[in-house]
Amino acid sequence: MVVGDFSTEVDVLVVGGGPGGYVAAIRAAQLGKKVTLVDKAELGGVCLNRGCIPSKALIHAADEVNKVKNASHMGIEVEGVRVDFSKTIQWKDEVVKKLTGGVASLLKGNKVEVVQGEVYFSGENTVKVATESNSTTYEFNHCILATGSRPTQIRSLPFDGEKIISSTEALNLKEIPEKLIVVGGGYIGLELGTAYAKLGAEVTILEGTDSLLPGTDPSMVRMVKRNLKKLGVTVVTNAMVQKADTSGNGVTVTAEVKGEEKSYSADKVLVSVGRTPNTDELGLEHAGIEADERGFIPTDKQMRTKNERVFAIGDIAGQPLLAHKASYEGKVAAEVIAGEPSEVDYRAMPFVIFSDPELAYTGLTEKEAKEEGYDVSVSRFSFAANGRALSLDAADGFFQVVADKETKQILGAQIVGPEAASLISEVVLAIEMGANAEDIALTIHAHPSLPETFMEAAEGIVGNAIHMVNK
Amino acid sequence: MAFEFKLPDVGEGIHEGEIVKFYVKEGDSINEDDVLAEVQTDKAVVEIPSPVTGTVKKLNADEGEVVEVGSVLAVFDTGDGDDTVDEPTEEEGAADQDSAPAEAKKDKAPAAPAAVSGKQVLAMPSVRKKARELGLELTQVEGTGPRGRITFEDLENFQAGGTQQKETQPERVEESPVAEPKEEAAPAAVTHVPQGNEERIPLRGMRRTIAKRMAQSVYTAPHVTIMDEVDASEMIEMRKWAKPMAEQRGIKLTYMPFIVKALVAALREFPTLNASIDDEKEEIIIKKYYNMGIATATEDGLVVPVLKDVDRKSIFQLADEMRDLVTRTRDRKAGVDELKGGTFTITNIGSFGGQFFTPIINYPEVAIFGMGKMADRPMAVDGEVVIKPIMNISLSIDHRLIDGDVAARFLNRVKELLENPKLLMMEMS
Repeated sequence: MVVGDFSTEVDVLVVGGGPGGYVAAIRAAQLGKKVTLVDKAELGGVCLNRGCIPSKALIHAADEVNKVKNASHMGIEVEGVRVDFSKTIQWKDEVVKKLTGGVASLLKGNKVEVVQGEVYFSGENTVKVATESNSTTYEFNHCILATGSRPTQIRSLPFDGEKIISSTEALNLKEIPEKLIVVGGGYIGLELGTAYAKLGAEVTILEGTDSLLPGTDPSMVRMVKRNLKKLGVTVVTNAMVQKADTSGNGVTVTAEVKGEEKSYSADKVLVSVGRTPNTDELGLEHAGIEADERGFIPTDKQMRTKNERVFAIGDIAGQPLLAHKASYEGKVAAEVIAGEPSEVDYRAMPFVIFSDPELAYTGLTEKEAKEEGYDVSVSRFSFAANGRALSLDAADGFFQVVADKETKQILGAQIVGPEAASLISEVVLAIEMGANAEDIALTIHAHPSLPETFMEAAEGIVGNAIHMVNK
Repeated sequence: MAFEFKLPDVGEGIHEGEIVKFYVKEGDSINEDDVLAEVQTDKAVVEIPSPVTGTVKKLNADEGEVVEVGSVLAVFDTGDGDDTVDEPTEEEGAADQDSAPAEAKKDKAPAAPAAVSGKQVLAMPSVRKKARELGLELTQVEGTGPRGRITFEDLENFQAGGTQQKETQPERVEESPVAEPKEEAAPAAVTHVPQGNEERIPLRGMRRTIAKRMAQSVYTAPHVTIMDEVDASEMIEMRKWAKPMAEQRGIKLTYMPFIVKALVAALREFPTLNASIDDEKEEIIIKKYYNMGIATATEDGLVVPVLKDVDRKSIFQLADEMRDLVTRTRDRKAGVDELKGGTFTITNIGSFGGQFFTPIINYPEVAIFGMGKMADRPMAVDGEVVIKPIMNISLSIDHRLIDGDVAARFLNRVKELLENPKLLMMEMS
């Protein structure tokens, strides 16, 4: 330390203001800690600014357009639907602004000091925070790292922000591209590709593996593929992208598809092949912490890193990279710091994908349950047999429940269909509470409603479903 | 080859033990059945023998640490098996690393604690949280809810039947690895501010067990103590008369066997004092057998060995067995079985000079009898003051079960029997 370089002592230093960091900061403050939160850009992190919220706003806008365009079979004729995309983007920005403003005032209300700057470890319990004008050293009692992740760049298609873009730019386009290539058929590419297709773009998805949404139950993905086809989206699987040529007006991507070289042209290429944790520029080695080969920081169940004063939560602490997982871990870390015996102890993590139709799943699949030693009972209820789904003109899909054959305990569920992202919550609750299918079957579900499908699927496990023939 | 030794259940139903002492260090070699460690359970110190012959690679606990049954206590290198390359297996590698990454690895196999399969323990998140606060391992708790679901009541019952009281907040504050700034002290926490020279000794071992037991008893059973004094003249006479006979048989006769016999006779007449309450089922258990706990001061603290079937033993037999049991208890040689199963307890502080006191019930028993010092004191007999050998007696009862009148009548009966020890003969079965 240079003479005159005084350090500021802080009790709990939170690095990163996303759904992990700001939640951890507020929880720690609630528990009586004095908290300083440092973020290099804007509060809310990826989720609020460049991820969940803006993408869902855009997806919603696209859905509305699509509905209006396709309502003639209900007798709704709308002529000349036109999208003023700059207004759509403006509306999306307002949604984001409301939420980030909310985060700022919550932090303020909990007396969390917010500093804008970049953090770099200078010792086991010291960091340097570089702000626009100067650099300050902070000495912390405890530190919670929540620096999140960024879109992964692939060497053959480096981001230029103009023609080769990441999800960040895809959420801030000035106009709807006429042609859009999406490299990567994971959930981000799928969500944004679908949205732009609904807004009128001609979309081609290039996926390297043999299926969209790799790792997701193929029977669920089938429904999504069918709708993509209806929307005119071209899906190319087993497509290994080689290079991109941006010299002309648009961009041409060359890919090897099953041994054959093919090229695809578009105005823009959205590369969404995964996310990389932001751990490479923190100077972790000075704090005695090491990230693994993929950049994730190993932690224990209390989110503690190898340096017992430092906690890591959210994307940087490993899969799954989900905002709600980050928030959960943030609360655990804050409580551990406050001396509470908290630890990561969830039974079910919900996964949701805002595709068309929506996908959501949690807990164990049939295969996983068998691997865990369960004798499994599976029941699938189709939305086509649900009054509310039909009346919403959204009868595609199913609600599948996986249960233990003997105890009927709910182990997991896979939903593809309308409002799957909302419906999954009831299953997560059921799993956490240790509910069995009979409990669900005996719980009155409002009629007509989409959650009835959970009750029916549960009844299928028990063997007394009304609206389907029991096996 | 590495052998992982899991802490066995050293006594019936015990789910954790505190490591009192390790007889080996990491790197030491040990033979099968040599003593590896001493473990303090709820009731006794038990020696844990080594299950194998080999080198101690790793000891997974420190002395003073509480280890759960089933967790790996030590890892041995048994030397046999793989004789090619001495490369550590993946598991050993993980064990050698620092705690954080090793635990992170464990995370990936969530089935680890349950061992048998990946099946989950049925318990709601709030119950799981409570279990963590109480330091309970859910796999050890039997669920009584639908299909074996663990409820809050199950946790409470497990705790009451098991060992722990809730860790108090101040303890947790101290556990925090980093000193808290002063102004941060949580307002609710009773933090101790030193006022002078003081020493801090961790509450460990027997003392911790005793502390928890005593607190459990007092917080569970509303105690009422009644006291009286006994004219011990006749008892002294009787002992004097019987002493030579006992000595001939090599038995040292004290007053205790007389008192045990008097208590048994009275307990027969007042069965609710030889009982316990099953808090879980809300039932009173009247015991038709008489096992007398004898509170015994040891170097490590108070221990209560149990003299079984005292109603079926003669005074000489009682004297002999009691001496043996108490001696072995003092030497910490009494077995776990000899330290449980009591139905009623006697505590004698008379030998240390006390008079009246309030004995704490040996929960879940419902009454305890205390003897004070026997001493010559004035007593009014037929309007005149005479000097008599007087012994003070105290009886604490669990007022949930025993009313004051029952307690008083019981104590009167005990007094009557002690003042007229010949009556004991009439009571003999």
